Amino acid sequence: MGSDVTSPIDQDLAARAAAGARLSEADLALLAAVGDILALGALADDARRVKAGTAATYVRVLDVETATLGDAPLEVPEGATEVRLQGLPPTLEATVAAVTAARAAAGTRTVSGFSLADLVARAIEGWGDLGDVAAALKAAGLDAVADVPADRILDLPAAVRPLLEAGVLVPRVTVAAPVPATGRVDLLLRIRALQDATGALQACAPLPREVPDALPTTGYDDVRFVALARLALESVPAIQVDWVLYGPKLAQVALTFGADDLDSVSPFDDETQGRRRAAVEEIRRNVEAAGLRPVERDGRYGRLDR
Amino acid sequence: MDLTALQARIESGGRLDAEESRWIYREAPTPWLARLADFVRRRKHPEGVVTYIIDRNVNYTNVCVARCNFCAFYRPVGHGEGYVLGFDEIHRKIEETIELGGDQLLLQGGHNPDLPLTWYEDLFRGVKAAYPEFRLHALSPPEVLHLSRMSRLSTGEVLARLMAVGLDSIPGGGAEILVDRVRKLLNCYNKATADEWLDVMRQAHHAGLRTTATMMYGTVETPDERIEHMLRLREVQDETGGFTAFITWSYQPEHTERGGIEATGLEYLRTLATARIVLDNFDNLQASWVTQGGKVGQLSLAFGANDMGSVMIEENVVRAAGAAYCMDEVEIVRNIEDAGFVAVRRNMHYEVLGEPVFRQRDIPRVLALATARAEGDTSVPAELANYEARSAAAKKQRARI
Ligand code: SF4
Repeated sequence: MGSDVTSPIDQDLAARAAAGARLSEADLALLAAVGDILALGALADDARRVKAGTAATYVRVLDVETATLGDAPLEVPEGATEVRLQGLPPTLEATVAAVTAARAAAGTRTVSGFSLADLVARAIEGWGDLGDVAAALKAAGLDAVADVPADRILDLPAAVRPLLEAGVLVPRVTVAAPVPATGRVDLLLRIRALQDATGALQACAPLPREVPDALPTTGYDDVRFVALARLALESVPAIQVDWVLYGPKLAQVALTFGADDLDSVSPFDDETQGRRRAAVEEIRRNVEAAGLRPVERDGRYGRLDR
Repeated sequence: MDLTALQARIESGGRLDAEESRWIYREAPTPWLARLADFVRRRKHPEGVVTYIIDRNVNYTNVCVARCNFCAFYRPVGHGEGYVLGFDEIHRKIEETIELGGDQLLLQGGHNPDLPLTWYEDLFRGVKAAYPEFRLHALSPPEVLHLSRMSRLSTGEVLARLMAVGLDSIPGGGAEILVDRVRKLLNCYNKATADEWLDVMRQAHHAGLRTTATMMYGTVETPDERIEHMLRLREVQDETGGFTAFITWSYQPEHTERGGIEATGLEYLRTLATARIVLDNFDNLQASWVTQGGKVGQLSLAFGANDMGSVMIEENVVRAAGAAYCMDEVEIVRNIEDAGFVAVRRNMHYEVLGEPVFRQRDIPRVLALATARAEGDTSVPAELANYEARSAAAKKQRARI
């Protein structure tokens, strides 16, 4: 960046942020208030490069609706490295059955599924102790919980620990609903505290997954939150954007504002899943056009050498 | 290249030459380009305002003999899906536009051999008689050339006749890339060479019309040819000062003969930022949310754009090629304000019209852009019987009216 003279960010803070150092709550409050998204984005990009270099990872995921499991035999395309179960069935038995079916079809691929917020709610509603629920799902073949919506779970470490103790991975936190600007630093600090307490996280996907059609988040909103997440979560390896939910254009731009991982890439090589579910070539082209190096990873965040 | 020296020149209002322009587009880091484009935008628009216009994008016919291979919109003469809008349909669209606070049609269409100059004159005259204050931002340079060839009048005479019946300004469509090598490959050289396109604009400017300028990139051109396009526009702007704005968008490949893949979002933002720096004599750069979507459309405001373009109300050309984004006035204003700017409604001349209409009175939300016609509507306007057709297909059709 050659135009530091116009950057509104204090030089000492900028240097620490760009180096990927741990920032205080006060630092983050200052950064959250910066109106100049280019200045914020440049710092996040620097911090991202410290952690990930020029690599941008992506994962090919087969999404499976549990409600449709059993209608037809589950076929997992060769390209998928993760099978992700969506939609928590009404009973623990049905959930165990869904995981078992997914496990059988997935082979050695990662089987992930469900939202931790839903599992916590069901445990309270009568499924029993969360640790026992997690153990049952682990025994059926669940490798990882898919979503930990940080804005829906008050005590994150308390919710996450039983899963970890049962051997279920908790690789990423997500955000369910749009977070007002005033609440973002708090939320990110809670995520950071979770990582401090457990060390379990591989990624944070900060962009909301349930956005009202009538009031979508804006491009500024999205890249600002991505950049802030990168700067706040120096201990979380990856900042992730969902390729399908956010579309190639925003996802690509986010890669220059601190993101380094693309989730939900289609495992199919044609475009039968629709315009936005593009094949791997499309992802790689977008990553390269952002000046980065595309690297495929698996569902456990291990890099693949394909 | 010495980035620091280039930056100092740009910051002091100096101009980049062709080689420097090519270099920053190809090589400069994206954050550097963006920061400088933003700097130039702020220098030109220090008041922190972002403008937009409420107008309707109407395509009066999709019948076209030009057959550009990047176009998914046109239908050849005699095709069952070919249409010509009736004068009453166009008047109805104007009334809906006025209801939404709009004051202008952006009126463009195919090169239809069965619409003589008199059809356009009657249309314009009729619109101005019914809605005297309403503006006609109409007929891109290739359409003017098409009318000139059909009527055997010079382009200057065509412009004069259209101005006499109410033409207010000219849209910059049909420019694609103003390099003849590219135009030949896109099969749009015959509709207008680069020189012809620029000459029509020169004539329009000298006749007192303001126009916009556009660039569609992402087909067969090289990055250097995009810069050549910008430099040719800059040269005419030096000469006439007649361009009000520059608008660039990426080629939309779906359903086109040419096919291919769309350029990425970052490529759009880099192109926009480069244009802001290279086109130092253009005051206004529009964001193309209709091709890039609302999010990258809004981010354009950080990469040099100072205008969110039009609410459009209707769109047919980009939709035919696969993109279907929609932003009504409420959404455009929300995006402008969310980016930290003051939203101001303008006309084609970039004169301020006032604050958003929806804050002054209730207007219906528009959540999907309208189309030229309802699907399956194959009606033929009765007034076409009054105009001489050239093609056999249209002659037959008109005989049946
Ligand atoms: S771009 Fe215009 S001139 Fe070319 S084929 Fe399409 S409608 Fe005709």
